[in-house]
Amino acid sequence: MLSDLLNAHTIQVEDGSAYTWEDAIRKAAQPLIDLKFVETAYVDSMIDVVKEEGPYINIGPQVALAHARPNDSVHKIGLSLLKTNSSVDLVSEDHPVKLWFVLAATDSNSHLSVIQQLMTVLTNNDILNKLLEAPTVDAVMDALDEADEAEQ
Amino acid sequence: MKILAVCQSGLGTSFMVQMNIQSILKDENVDTSDIQVDHSDVGSASANAADYFFVESTLANAVGSLPKDKVVLLKSLIDKNETKEHVNDILDRENIKYDAK
Repeated sequence: MLSDLLNAHTIQVEDGSAYTWEDAIRKAAQPLIDLKFVETAYVDSMIDVVKEEGPYINIGPQVALAHARPNDSVHKIGLSLLKTNSSVDLVSEDHPVKLWFVLAATDSNSHLSVIQQLMTVLTNNDILNKLLEAPTVDAVMDALDEADEAEQ
Repeated sequence: MKILAVCQSGLGTSFMVQMNIQSILKDENVDTSDIQVDHSDVGSASANAADYFFVESTLANAVGSLPKDKVVLLKSLIDKNETKEHVNDILDRENIKYDAK
């Protein structure tokens, strides 16, 4: 279940109005560093990919899924989420984002079930809107629980 | 027929699109015995790799070498309706039956 990875340890809600997109990705990834799932080098590589290749991690309106290729600085598969109350522009104002997911994968396959579960959440407009409006970490978790229940 | 979902790393987002396409085909009761859906990174997506390529629109330049009529640019990867419109267009072009809903 998604709540195995996304929980009180890995979800954050911040104002975000003073953030750059780099700040948002670093903040979103911090729990995975604290849990020792990834090293700072992985966070740097996620940011570098966007600098080099553009804002393609903006997978839908207000949603970004930061990730980089699996490498030595990932120790455990992980997912974290930062919700910013203010939109932060990812590279340009064409890409405002409030939901910052960070995905860390240890190989090319292990994370596929995580993505699958994440997609059931993100393709559900009701739940997506609840996530975008969630004022607290608890509200984010409630919305995700609802997705888990809808799944069963 | 082969549909290839393409993203920068071939890791996450392309798989999302692949999953969406597969679930749309299933919902529409399409006979998929002759339809292959896969995902890859942008570097390995050559013109012969598939009949149709689904690509996130910020990667449009990166897939410039692919024939334009084979490339579908998606504005949102999590908007199933957008993906569905494109899938149905392709099914129409290929004369493949589906249940329109």
